[in-house]
Amino acid sequence: MSAFDVLFQQVINGLALGMMYALLALGFTMVYGIIELINFSHFSVFMTGTFVGLVVLSLLGVTPGSASLTGVPLVGILVVLFAVTMATTGLLGVLIERICLRPVRHVSGTAPMITTIGIAFILINLVLLTWGPQAQRFPQLLPNWRWTIGGAEVTFKQVVLFAVALILMIGLSHLVRRTTLGKAMRATAQDADAARMMGIDVDRVVVLTFFLGSALAGAGSLFFGLYYGFTGYYIGYTTGLRAFTSAVLGGIGSIPGAVLGGVFIGLTQSLGGQLIGVKWTDVIIFSILIFVMVCRPNGLLGAQTPRRA
Amino acid sequence: MTVRALADRWRGLTVARRRQILAPVLLGVGILFPLVTSNAGNVDAAANAFTYVLLALGLNIVVGFAGLLDLGYAAFFAIGAYGYGIAASGQLRPEWSNLWAPLEWAGQVSRLAMPGQPATVQFHFSFWPMLAVSAIICAIFGMLFGAPTLRLRGDYLAIVTLGFGEIVPVVARNWEGLTNGAQGLGGIRTPKLFGFDFGFSPYPYYFLGLALAAVGVWISIRLQESRVGRAWMAIREDELAAGAMGVNHVHYKLLAFAMGAAVGGLGGTFYVAKLTTATPDMFTFPVSVMVLVMVVLGGLGSIRGVVLAALFVAFLQSVILQDLTQYVHVLGRVVGSPFLQRVELITSLELIFGLILVLMMIFRREGLWPAVRRVSALTREQQAAAPARGAAVKLSWAHPPVAGGSAHPLLQLERLSKQFGGLSAASDINLTVHAGELVSIIGPNGSGKTTLFNLITGLIRPDAGNIRFDGQDIAGRPSHEIVAHGVARTFQNIRLFNNLSVLENLLVGEHVRLEASVLGAIFRPPRVRAEERRAASSALEVLEIFGNRLLPRLDHPVYGLSYANRRRTEIARAIMTRPKLLLLDEPAAGMNPVETLELMDLIKALRDLGITVILIEHKLDVVMDVSDRVVVLDHGVKIAEGAPAQVRSDERVIEAYLGRRRRTA
Amino acid sequence: MTRRALVLGIALLCTAMIMAGPPPESAAQAKVIKIGLSLPLTGADADGADAILKGAQMAIAEINAKGGVSGYKLEAVVFDSATPAAGQYDPAQAATNYKKFIGDSLVLAAVGPVMSGEGKAISPILSEADMATITPSSTNPDITDPKFQAQYRPKGKAVYFRTVTTDAYQGPNMANYLFHQQKIKSVYVLDDGGAFGVGIADSFQKRAGELGVKILGRDRLDPKEADYKTILTKIKGMNPDALYYGGVMQAAAKLAPQAYEVTPKVIKAGSDGVYDLSWPKQSGKEAVEGWYCSQASPELVTAPKVESWVTKFKTEMKREPTNYAITSYNAVYVIADSVERAAKAGKPMTRSNLRDAIQAAKVSSIQGPIAFDANGDILTKTVSIYQWRDGEIKYVTVAPEK
Repeated sequence: MSAFDVLFQQVINGLALGMMYALLALGFTMVYGIIELINFSHFSVFMTGTFVGLVVLSLLGVTPGSASLTGVPLVGILVVLFAVTMATTGLLGVLIERICLRPVRHVSGTAPMITTIGIAFILINLVLLTWGPQAQRFPQLLPNWRWTIGGAEVTFKQVVLFAVALILMIGLSHLVRRTTLGKAMRATAQDADAARMMGIDVDRVVVLTFFLGSALAGAGSLFFGLYYGFTGYYIGYTTGLRAFTSAVLGGIGSIPGAVLGGVFIGLTQSLGGQLIGVKWTDVIIFSILIFVMVCRPNGLLGAQTPRRA
Repeated sequence: MTVRALADRWRGLTVARRRQILAPVLLGVGILFPLVTSNAGNVDAAANAFTYVLLALGLNIVVGFAGLLDLGYAAFFAIGAYGYGIAASGQLRPEWSNLWAPLEWAGQVSRLAMPGQPATVQFHFSFWPMLAVSAIICAIFGMLFGAPTLRLRGDYLAIVTLGFGEIVPVVARNWEGLTNGAQGLGGIRTPKLFGFDFGFSPYPYYFLGLALAAVGVWISIRLQESRVGRAWMAIREDELAAGAMGVNHVHYKLLAFAMGAAVGGLGGTFYVAKLTTATPDMFTFPVSVMVLVMVVLGGLGSIRGVVLAALFVAFLQSVILQDLTQYVHVLGRVVGSPFLQRVELITSLELIFGLILVLMMIFRREGLWPAVRRVSALTREQQAAAPARGAAVKLSWAHPPVAGGSAHPLLQLERLSKQFGGLSAASDINLTVHAGELVSIIGPNGSGKTTLFNLITGLIRPDAGNIRFDGQDIAGRPSHEIVAHGVARTFQNIRLFNNLSVLENLLVGEHVRLEASVLGAIFRPPRVRAEERRAASSALEVLEIFGNRLLPRLDHPVYGLSYANRRRTEIARAIMTRPKLLLLDEPAAGMNPVETLELMDLIKALRDLGITVILIEHKLDVVMDVSDRVVVLDHGVKIAEGAPAQVRSDERVIEAYLGRRRRTA
Repeated sequence: MTRRALVLGIALLCTAMIMAGPPPESAAQAKVIKIGLSLPLTGADADGADAILKGAQMAIAEINAKGGVSGYKLEAVVFDSATPAAGQYDPAQAATNYKKFIGDSLVLAAVGPVMSGEGKAISPILSEADMATITPSSTNPDITDPKFQAQYRPKGKAVYFRTVTTDAYQGPNMANYLFHQQKIKSVYVLDDGGAFGVGIADSFQKRAGELGVKILGRDRLDPKEADYKTILTKIKGMNPDALYYGGVMQAAAKLAPQAYEVTPKVIKAGSDGVYDLSWPKQSGKEAVEGWYCSQASPELVTAPKVESWVTKFKTEMKREPTNYAITSYNAVYVIADSVERAAKAGKPMTRSNLRDAIQAAKVSSIQGPIAFDANGDILTKTVSIYQWRDGEIKYVTVAPEK
């Protein structure tokens, strides 16, 4: 492969990564937009989603050793898989909000964030205790077709996941911009008290936002499982921090920002790994995070109001 | 002597007395423990536990005292550990040059010459000076990591610290030349004291750890009860108000990070000297979370809570869960359950941490052992203090103006302007206030009165124009500097330090006039003690002004006070700064007519004592009564100025308040 | 008042538990020698540690069934050296465990540790107490290297004995094999950032360089990271003949399927870190197909003379054995043999004397003759090469020593 081909391949890899980070970042940024809470547990919900997917697939008779599928059975199973997993993670998010976060929602300071750290630890360890520390194989649902473009390869997996992510993002964008619920969400994000006074049930909006955001995390988790073919109890942490950086970079609270940030971070990871070496990826990404938070806290597309102490 | 009676007796003692009794008792227990327990493993576990105590105390300074959530605290643990590790192991082998000779003479390095190779330096710095050096290095890193967070809000600050907490172990893992990478440092030298080598027995480490923990507790207590501690707590409670009382938030936040990091560094040095090895995996995010769990469990800001929680978590991890597991296994054998016989409770340790964090935040945010505040009971009269007029106001430091001398301009505002987006909050304001005047600023809601105060006191910067105070240009200066010049204020919606007592609130007001730094706070030389006494008597003097209202409630936390008393406390706090100019923003809001009159008497008395007062008020009758001059603002523009009677009948003023008069045909 | 009583009660209970320690064992019995076993029984390396534990337990049970040795019964004291914070072995916990062994006067020797990272922490402790440990699997050479004697055994005498050989041979011999047998001319080296992985990758890389193989690059896989496509794409662009991975299963589990996708034609090799029977289950047997791996011991599990042992192990311990289960089993037998010799020589049964006896051991075992050099390393330096085929590990050959 020529040097250009390698770079092109890394760009493709980076875009795929970026889509996954974007899916995760979207849910995260939506919750922040509404209740200004940095929700660490979001990424553990993501991790749990992969295990939910495993269970769903095994119930459907698909195990890690089975062959991949095509055509109608593939589409059918994908639809069921995504629907059930997203619903489950959505519900998990709602449960978390209801039981753990609502009691501390109006507490000032960092109590809510500490609570989300606790929830994350609980989820991670429950999964660890149930499934053990070793990696779990994810069934290879999608066949291993690949096409060459120039000197680089694009796999069927990447195409499908790209498509799914795009559909979800477009759906979300439509929901936020064209429906009443979306308007209620945007109103609550700008001023919860005023929204309440206009007759919007803020609590319900928050619950729905958590549901949507966590469902998106569920979609992202299936993306992860299908793309990498495995999962483990710890994947929420690294992937989560990258998705978090994507959200902050794009502008926390901004939906297009989450997508933009995700793509940027995905490309940084693959091109940075190519040009510098993967062992510095974490440092690079954290440096971006710190830089953005200190110098431009609103990110690339975020709202203009500066956040001061 | 019944338990009840003993408890009552205990409660009757002062804090100082209690400490005098507790300290030797606890130290005695600590010293006896290793002699009483037969298992050296327990002593070893206890020695490790002291490391956790130090870490918890350090994080308590950052999170508990100063309110800065640090999620990457393990970074300082790592820096302290690696700092000593590199200095006391064979990791670095620079080439020998004569620059190292003085250190060789001092016994800290050796010259190693292997045949056929250039001579190299072997490091074996002594543990004891390295304790101090580690602490200093960590303090520097504390400031480095804290600096980017200064302008950030709570959760953003936490994320940045989390970032640094992640970067440090990655650097340790990748910078192999310095840290031996993932293999970690080995062969770190153990401490030696007068020729006695600590070696691998846990006993000397236990006593060293006990001593370090005791020092940590002592430093924490001293800091908490000093000017530095009060400044930290003020920042934690309300950073804006702290600035308005003269606390430089940049300086104190960096100081909190530095002190917290230094204590963590002590823990790191001790831990690694005992373990003789350091690997990057010892300092990852779960370690930071564990220290956070200790502080949350014990109670943010509560020294004894944090120490107890640290000991509890340390023992939970090293001893209790394992022993409990054995009991569960026995139970399993008895009951015949194979699951119970195989379960290992230690694997659920992090699950327990998660549960602790969530449950504590939902149900008991103040922690399990918060510092109990002893609050004195009030007598009947004190509870029902009624407003009284004509109370004498005496302040030893205030000088009534010399009669007949022309008052010089104290405050000059020239063409002052400020815009918020499209809204003009202040538009070309010109105003001169002379020393000894009582000027009132009135105007409808939203006319820019509070904005004016914010501009004068440095909370916001003007877009254009000048502000001169006592001849000095103060426009755009930070608020704590302006306080030092002699300007103090209260806030429209009362910004007190809610969890502090009345006295502590006032003492923060004294901040600019005290000098104690960290060393002074810790060691309390006579100068600092005298200064604290003066501050306390100053506070009492100011509280006297308010008669029976505040004095009996000296040690009550201000969140429990009535609205009127909170206002009075805020005014008292502002007076503590010994201002030349006092800005009061709607001080009579929420007071009934008699209370309002009482307050106005006070304000007049302050003016008579030589303090210039600018007053924002809506109660126009009292305003007209007390003021020398009245200024009227509307939509950011000064529309009238002059004697009260003049202004009262000014048509533009009436229009501004009541609307344009309908012109009758 | 009740809440305070509750808190006080819990505090007293905890203190009581700390002071009392674990529940007392059954009534005093005949003379006992305890063998300390500090292994990472939870966390990422649990499976390997479990096999090692069971190997040792089987040996102890056999010896006791024959009436013990020289009138002593053997007893295992088992502690977990993994902590949840680390997610795997924790050197600090290992150090605490070994200090507990030393605090127990009946513990005269130990079998373990499993990981070299633990070994570095505990070796000085053992040296101080003059107690021997025999490790069935720790292969980092530094711990017994005389160059680092001041660090790892300040008192001079060997205390860290091994029934496996070290990475000083495991890494380079794999390089020898790949160069001579597989005729590779270029290689890209990866490690997993762990103490073991970095060490063995280093030793492989050095030897490969000496042989004239072109080292195209060296990078690190983060075991907690999921995506290795970036580095694999970079490697693919360089077109190496081979890829060497130094490290353990946590990263290998993800490396295999992604390497299968991105660089299927490259020759792939690892160390004993990827000799893990759960690999096909974790990564899929197509993904591990063709990977080479090594063991720092002669081939044991499939050797015919070991067949009956393997059957017995599978029946009694209800799991598949690993090579290191056998070296662990042998370690216990070395200790038993040393006890016998020390007793016969009429010396008091102390840790020092037992250590001396272990040093002088010449035991014939199912892995062949076991004897130690002055540093504690096993005299036979055999490294075995294996290859994953069709989901199973197949023995290939002894690795060439040059």
